[in-house]
Amino acid sequence: MRNVYLMFVSWFFYYKTSGLFVAILAFVTLSDWLIAQRIDKAKSNNPESKIAKLWLTLSVMIDLGILGYFKYAYFFTNMFNDLTGSHVTIVDKIILPAGISFYIFQVISYTADVYCRRIQPVKNILDFGFYVSFFPQLVAGPIVRAEEFVPQLYKPFHLSRRMFGLAVFWIINGLAKKIILSNYLAVNIIDRVFDYPLLFSGFENLFALFAYSLQVYADFSGYSDIAIGLALLMGFYLPMNFNSPYKSQTPQEFWRRWHMSLGRWLKTYLYIPLGGNRKISIGTYIMLTIIALVSAGLTGWWLWIMIPFAALIAAMIIVPRVMKNNTQLKLFYSNLNSFITQVLGGLWHGASWNFIIWGGINGIGMIVNKIWRELHWHVRFVLMTALTGSLIYADEATHLPAWHLFAFWALIVWIGTAIRYIYWLLTEDKEIKNQKSKISNKIAQCWAILQTFVFITFTRLFFRSSSNLDPATANEQAWETAKNMVNQIGGAWNSAMIPDFIVEYKWVVAMFIAGMIIHWLPTNWKRRYRLWFSAMPLWLMVFVVCAALVVIYQFVTADMQPFIYFQF
Amino acid sequence: MRPYKILLFMTGILVVLAALCIVLPGRVTIGGTEVRWPTLTQVFDAQTAAKEVEIPDRLWNLDDPKEAALDTTAIVLTTDSVTPSAPSVVPPKVVVDSTTDSRIFLSRFYASLQTTDSCKVRIVHYGDSQIEEDRITQQIRETLQQRYGGSGVGLMPLLQTIPSLTVRQELRMNGRLISASQAQQGPARYLVYGPKSMQRTDGLYGAMGQVAIMADSLVPGSEEVVVVCKPQTASAHYSTWRIFADSTIHYTVSGDTVHLTGRGAIYGLSQETNTGVIVDNIPMRGCLGTTVFTKIDSTQLATFYREENVRLIILQYGGNAIPENDKPETIHGFVKSYRKQVRYLRRCAPHADILFIGPSDMVRLKDGIWQSYPMISFMDKLLRKMCLEDNIAYFSLYQYMGGAGSMLRWREQGLAGSDGIHFYRNGARKAGNAVATWLLEPLTPNH
Repeated sequence: MRNVYLMFVSWFFYYKTSGLFVAILAFVTLSDWLIAQRIDKAKSNNPESKIAKLWLTLSVMIDLGILGYFKYAYFFTNMFNDLTGSHVTIVDKIILPAGISFYIFQVISYTADVYCRRIQPVKNILDFGFYVSFFPQLVAGPIVRAEEFVPQLYKPFHLSRRMFGLAVFWIINGLAKKIILSNYLAVNIIDRVFDYPLLFSGFENLFALFAYSLQVYADFSGYSDIAIGLALLMGFYLPMNFNSPYKSQTPQEFWRRWHMSLGRWLKTYLYIPLGGNRKISIGTYIMLTIIALVSAGLTGWWLWIMIPFAALIAAMIIVPRVMKNNTQLKLFYSNLNSFITQVLGGLWHGASWNFIIWGGINGIGMIVNKIWRELHWHVRFVLMTALTGSLIYADEATHLPAWHLFAFWALIVWIGTAIRYIYWLLTEDKEIKNQKSKISNKIAQCWAILQTFVFITFTRLFFRSSSNLDPATANEQAWETAKNMVNQIGGAWNSAMIPDFIVEYKWVVAMFIAGMIIHWLPTNWKRRYRLWFSAMPLWLMVFVVCAALVVIYQFVTADMQPFIYFQF
Repeated sequence: MRPYKILLFMTGILVVLAALCIVLPGRVTIGGTEVRWPTLTQVFDAQTAAKEVEIPDRLWNLDDPKEAALDTTAIVLTTDSVTPSAPSVVPPKVVVDSTTDSRIFLSRFYASLQTTDSCKVRIVHYGDSQIEEDRITQQIRETLQQRYGGSGVGLMPLLQTIPSLTVRQELRMNGRLISASQAQQGPARYLVYGPKSMQRTDGLYGAMGQVAIMADSLVPGSEEVVVVCKPQTASAHYSTWRIFADSTIHYTVSGDTVHLTGRGAIYGLSQETNTGVIVDNIPMRGCLGTTVFTKIDSTQLATFYREENVRLIILQYGGNAIPENDKPETIHGFVKSYRKQVRYLRRCAPHADILFIGPSDMVRLKDGIWQSYPMISFMDKLLRKMCLEDNIAYFSLYQYMGGAGSMLRWREQGLAGSDGIHFYRNGARKAGNAVATWLLEPLTPNH
């Protein structure tokens, strides 16, 4: 009864946000429910059934077909036109149904889990409809895998006093993140700068970029917190979606802490089927070929993309035959398949060339970091010195802002590498290299966190530039924005205006700093204040919640930061 | 925990919040800090538009007895080098309602357009950040050049600190590329609208309101600046380079490239034709426009306007006066300052007509609701009044957009940015086309 009621409430909620697109939700619910029944039947008769595989393929094609039409029709049509010189057009405007990427992934996970016999198919279509459309996470996640959620459909409602307190905490916490950090920073600095980078100085562009890193986290994790809290109030457990991602010391760790439900989904339904760290599958070849063709088609750099692509294909054929070291072979497979997963994960976020670049940079970043950590300190230092020297030379030769930016950052990384290298030499000589001091460990951790944060922030240059754009013009506009921002950040700064900026934008700067400090608080502290809140008497909790809402309201109604020009 | 307890908890929160709505009168000051909380009326009747502000009658009157003695005579030029004004021609048939349509004040400009076969007619478009990147100007230029001939983008500064949609500029000093964001490393720049550190006291900014000073070295040729300006659109192609600089600056031109050496001031470069219409885009970032022209040396301005046969001056200001000012008295003061500016310009350019383009609609987030700034409507109306009284044409961008709240619609349609102030390029294109169409409408047959 509870499930049926919540399903209709969810559908009504979806109807209010997306109108008749609720029919698509109903269609995929029905389609995947029916197909899963067929798969189960076929599998029951024969665990190796090819018919079950055909049903699974049909289901995935239907789901991805719907997603592809709404999300990628412009993208692929433009690409087709660019490649063939034709002028194929599609309908004037495709409106993207809210949350389609999320519930499509959920139904795919259901059918795949039934196929893999991880779960039994849901007998009642209303129960299944509830799983697909559960309103707290319908439009922005977390993506709940069938394996995690379906068993909860059959459990009676139970919510302990402590869990109730935690549910309220997550809701208020999410609301505060969304309103105080995300909206305030977006309206008062980030949106302005990303809309018109040339109106702002290099420092303002850089600040906006870092503020965006905080904003996107606060926005997305704020939604997730609210969804988790609401679901908990109704007796359902949704998976954690963010785990202080900017505490990560490596790009790999970041992706284990960021949008965790998507990460797990991609790992289970894409990375592992591609072969994971076990093998290169036919899927790996197909996906890599598609990525190379799309990249070459969009950029026109056929030679520059096809040569490394051909080399990679050759390596994929040769390496498994000649490499005897199993660990290294696993690393090779893992890197290849995780790169593909990252690029496709980028494409999932939106139909724009910039999202592919974003995914690609993240994939490369992860691979480089993995390889880097395996290198000997001598090699690391020599490589870093050579890279920094080359970038400084390129900067001096061209005076282009992009090179200036690369050279500047490389120099900072080189300084860090040099210090650590010298430390390593000194401690090695004294044969105490394994007795790591606590302080040096902490410094190394902070340094790694900072580097990862900066890396992730700069990849966002491409991510944010592509968001909220008309798909028809997204590529051009996003590239223009990213280029202008790099030019501003990489250009000469008027450092005299930095204090003026801090004074004029004091509340924006204060919110950013406060947000980052809270984010970087030790996990134990956070756990402690969560538990303290959840255990407080109910009457006190009412007043604390009301006080929090009053504070949040001050930010809802806060006056806008006036427009101030620092660059002429 | 039982569901009814959860319900009770939620009800408790709602009761406390409702009590606050009743107790707090919208906003209270606690310890010097203003705390806002909605009243019940606001909760159930959220307003989406700013309240109309009542304007006292006296603020509609722009006359000031102290200004009666203002000098309105044209600047007299002593130089003999001025070119004669355009040949006299039969004025075209301009069909407008002279009682309501301010385009009646453009009749001399319309007449000059009949001479574009034999000479150049120049239009100078000054404005704030809304016209940066050649936005809005581009559409006016293309429409006029298509009909009356001429090509080229017109005036450009020595260093293009803001990229243009119509021309891509590259500047090298002593071989080193100086990008827009590295402007400090190039020749010293002075801006009439810039911060104090970028202003000069002698008023010699030239017609663009900005000047670059080249070569502090006393050895001629020790500093060389090379500027490459590549047109980005078909209409941006040109036949002639013009360099507006001190006579101590030497230059050679080769294709899209200009080599400059010497020591002195460079007021601008121009790609243009000798006949047809030339339209200059002169954006002044963050500029109010209330004092900017009177700070420029009048002789310099008058010489430029005369020699370059400037027949129309377009002013597009007002946007920067709106955000910080919610008082009608302030707006009244600004409009009076605009009148001083246009009168000054009229003295400098007695043969030119003037068109004022008012501010667009602009929105802000106030009390959690996006709404138009309350003073735009008043400024729009007062600017129109000022223009009509001073025989100046007026185009209301605010009314064209749809009045109060229209910026929100433009934003929803992807025509304007999230700041609620600036247009996106397609929005600027729409506005520019509207201005161009409006400008030429009286000359259009069957109008």
